[in-house]
Amino acid sequence: MATANRIPAFTATPARLGADILVLLSSMPQQQLESVLDKLNACFSSRAVVIVTPDPLPVDSFPSLQFLTVPATNTSWTLSAADYANAYQLAGKNEARSILMLGPEAGSLSLSALADLANAVLTTPTDLAVPRYDLPPHGGMINSAILYPLNRALFGSRVRFPLALDLGLSLRMAERLAGIAGRFTPLSQGEALIWPVNEAMVAGFIINEFDSGPRTQPQPPGIDLSTILPLVTGSLFSNIDANAAFWQRSRQLPPVRNPIARSLPMTMALSVDASAEIAPMLQAFHLAYTNLQEVWRLVLPPSSLLGLKRLSATDGAAFRMPDNLWARIVFDFLLAYRLRTINRGHLLGALIPIYHAWVASHLNIIASGIDPEHHIEAVAAAFEADKAYIVSRWRWPDRFNP
Amino acid sequence: MQHVLAMILQPDPSQASQPVFADSASIWQHMSTALHQSLYRVLTLLIVILPGILAFIAVLAISTLVGMALSALLRWGLRSAKFDDRFARDHGTVDWAPSSSATNLIARGAFWTCVLLGLIIGVSAFDAAYATFALRPNTFLPYFTQIVGAVFLLVAGTLIARFLARSVLIGAVNEQLQYARFLSLGVKWLVLVLTAAMVLDHLQIGGNVVELAFGILFGGIVLTLALAVGLGSRDLVSRSLESRSATSERGAANPATPANSAGDPIRHF
Repeated sequence: MATANRIPAFTATPARLGADILVLLSSMPQQQLESVLDKLNACFSSRAVVIVTPDPLPVDSFPSLQFLTVPATNTSWTLSAADYANAYQLAGKNEARSILMLGPEAGSLSLSALADLANAVLTTPTDLAVPRYDLPPHGGMINSAILYPLNRALFGSRVRFPLALDLGLSLRMAERLAGIAGRFTPLSQGEALIWPVNEAMVAGFIINEFDSGPRTQPQPPGIDLSTILPLVTGSLFSNIDANAAFWQRSRQLPPVRNPIARSLPMTMALSVDASAEIAPMLQAFHLAYTNLQEVWRLVLPPSSLLGLKRLSATDGAAFRMPDNLWARIVFDFLLAYRLRTINRGHLLGALIPIYHAWVASHLNIIASGIDPEHHIEAVAAAFEADKAYIVSRWRWPDRFNP
Repeated sequence: MQHVLAMILQPDPSQASQPVFADSASIWQHMSTALHQSLYRVLTLLIVILPGILAFIAVLAISTLVGMALSALLRWGLRSAKFDDRFARDHGTVDWAPSSSATNLIARGAFWTCVLLGLIIGVSAFDAAYATFALRPNTFLPYFTQIVGAVFLLVAGTLIARFLARSVLIGAVNEQLQYARFLSLGVKWLVLVLTAAMVLDHLQIGGNVVELAFGILFGGIVLTLALAVGLGSRDLVSRSLESRSATSERGAANPATPANSAGDPIRHF
């Protein structure tokens, strides 16, 4: 969804006042748009709905829905600051009580997922409704390795996809997110990422997560891992830095909700033949180990370097990265990001080979028959267990660190 | 004091007018005279530039004190006015370092501006004192500024060399180039050689020899790097072609495979 970075000029007449929900769609192919509109029509047959889309509308196909057309924004793979700013402003103009934001490829979302997200903000006191997608074992790796465990450990939220592509927002949640987005849009940073779950946690808003089934995850077009990992991780690190006063206090995690239903069928997990993918990632890690020592030494304490040394001695199917080592490494990179130990671009670039190592280890673990979700939960638990370390080093970074 | 010392150290005119090669005793006399005159010149120089040095130190000390006071005042005032919060609210989250909030940056800026001003005033006072003595007035300051410029060049060059070397190293490792370290070292020395040549040229040392040596060294490094990249990138190209053909083969073998099926390439996002 993308930006015009500023609130666009409307090409249609304002919708009728007092809409129940405003649905902001990102740009999508016509066929997919019609599919989404069909589902929305079925969901909101008795509601006043305003649909905002940058795409040309199917003429007279959905008489019960009100439409607004806005220019497309620049970001085509996730929701950006400009989208949040636009959504809140449009909701205000149409006096909508809640907002449903659907990201790219939203056509793959099921009807029940759409209904759950919308109903949560329409009929319950939920401020932020987030989906929980069923991704394949080799999908959403950055989310599984960094975003989810880090968010869970620091912000005390079990939301599995902190950077979800589809959201239900109450008006006050949308206002808060628009306020955050407003810091970026005047600086022509409308494509900046916003972290709704973190903001909701900081504001003390109610968050609800819904199983949404499978969904096509749009990949950032034309950019590779060396761009996307620093972009997403850097944005999260900045958000963590900005909210340091919040997460440094200890927090109780909400109880696990329906854990068994989340496990992937074991046959699916076992069918992953990722050896072809693992080999180049291990090569990348070994190459980095011989070349990037001087950079890692500036960021990582001796114990982590020793862990990496041991790791570099293993290869193939035996390659396993201990969860606590990964947690410690991510925390140290977070700290170095805050302290600007080295240039931030260099720092996040130096994280990529270690991330490769984690992915290789994760795929090996899955191939050995362990449920990927169990492993990801174990990683998140390791992050939680090591939270005291990051809090301590955040407060006293110069203290002796073995 | 200057006048008194000058009177004491003034050479005896009767000794200066004696014949040059009178006898063996006069050699000692000439040596003594030469030493006397040399001492006189050095002491005179010291006496002349001493006020300049004192003025330089005094001005620098005063400007540093003023800078500290101004910095403390600004820091206090901006913190009382909650400048950082207002700035963040009005202009968004700016990527300040943790130890460098907007307030800190302004306060430090004010301090270093004062110090720099003091340095400029002190140097010009020193130069004025020196120029009254020197046979060729106003020659010290330009060369001094050249030295300062050369130091800046050296520092900037070293920093840029380190930054670029690290950028190349990390980028090359992430591209899985086997010769990443070699490439990084090449870039580093390229920039360092360029910096050294610029510094020497700036100081007007070496003349054509530096230019010639720089040309040979720079050309040599570039040629080495070109050969290394040219020979080494064969692997990269073949790897890229292999992965592309593997992807297309996979696509051709399973045209109807859904995106989330097992066996798909890893999706990082």
